[in-house]
Amino acid sequence: MRRMDESALIHSAQSGDLDAFNTLVLHYQDMLFNTAVRILGDDDLAADATQDAFISAFRGLNTYRGGSFKAWLLRTVTNTCYDELRRKKRRPTTPLEPDSPDGSDMDAPRWLADPALTPEQSAEAVELEHAIQHCLDNLPMEFRTVVVMADLQGLDYTDVAAATRAPLGTIKSRLARARLRLRECLQAFGELLPSAFRLEGELAE
Amino acid sequence: MKFRDVELLSEYLDGRLGPSDAARLEARLASDASLKAALNDMRETRGLIRRLPQRRAPRNFRLTPKMAGVRPPTPRAYPAFRLATALAGFLFLASVALNAFTPFAAQRFAPVAAPALGKGGGGPAESSEAAPAATEAPPQQPFAAVEPTPTAESPAAADLATAQAVQTQDALRPAPTTEANQAAPVSPPNPLTASPQPAPAPIPVPWVIGLGVVMIVCAAAAWLLRLNNERRIRNRWNQK
Repeated sequence: MRRMDESALIHSAQSGDLDAFNTLVLHYQDMLFNTAVRILGDDDLAADATQDAFISAFRGLNTYRGGSFKAWLLRTVTNTCYDELRRKKRRPTTPLEPDSPDGSDMDAPRWLADPALTPEQSAEAVELEHAIQHCLDNLPMEFRTVVVMADLQGLDYTDVAAATRAPLGTIKSRLARARLRLRECLQAFGELLPSAFRLEGELAE
Repeated sequence: MKFRDVELLSEYLDGRLGPSDAARLEARLASDASLKAALNDMRETRGLIRRLPQRRAPRNFRLTPKMAGVRPPTPRAYPAFRLATALAGFLFLASVALNAFTPFAAQRFAPVAAPALGKGGGGPAESSEAAPAATEAPPQQPFAAVEPTPTAESPAAADLATAQAVQTQDALRPAPTTEANQAAPVSPPNPLTASPQPAPAPIPVPWVIGLGVVMIVCAAAAWLLRLNNERRIRNRWNQK
């Protein structure tokens, strides 16, 4: 979406034009849902958080005063994710499952159906995703939010700082700590995921 | 490894270090194998996160007007009908209250009820009640006496009615003998003076009913207007 189109749509939406807002929704819904999934680690909760985020974004649209709209939306969705987590903590709806790095008891995500991958590769990809999600889930919330915004959504440090309302220095140190912890956590899966790590190692050279 | 180094590596990886800091770190990386390894580890980790499959939204998250809390604009005539409803309602309640609290109301209904009793011929027990009201209805006495009543229990009833008429006429005269006499003085001339001129002017009953009808019609019109409008707008929104 071109920047001018976006600001025109935001302007219309701010004056109550729901159609304009829904154009923005269609543009950003994948990004918001993806963020919510990585923060919450649960598709249904993430869908709820995404819907709530768009609702509260529309209602609070007049608090958006320029800057990165993506960052503003990400702030909204992280807030609704916090709400979902709090709600889940208050009344857990699903029993705690044992962590299963092999993902055998989990539903296969849709991207598994990629015809370009052999069954072995698909299985590895699923394992890798589950391992990463598991490690993300183990991070403290504020670290998880920063690493998802910066590394998954590719947000600039300053945008992450704006979206989380934390000083830039805090963002830098949280990101560094989050990466360090993720690394430590993923190393435990190193044997399970040899090819993925090998591939990554080759790319890094 | 110190955490400060981890921070430096993290920023370096993102290209966020200033040129002098970056040069200093690169010099250290060239000589420090463990630092170099840590940088590679971190790069791998970042790469893994970045390569996480982007999950697509499982459904559309477009907002419906209801979710957004948007109310469709009300039709222009709506406030007028709402105001009319409120006004009619207020007048209706005010006139009902006025009629109920005016002492006139009680007196006004008395002559309406009394002839009805007199006409029916009634039983002997009713004679005392009918008596005071009948004081102002001498023209009805022949009517009640002559005309055979629908329920007419034959001449006996007619006789009773005439007997009552005689009794009441007796009661009018100052001859305190019957029980009717006891009732008559209690409300002496009131029925006679009140009925000809309605002094406090209460609201006529047809007017009150009319106000009630106006109120209901206006409320229904306002409600229908809004309902219809909402349906129309919702259809338009749904089509898009």
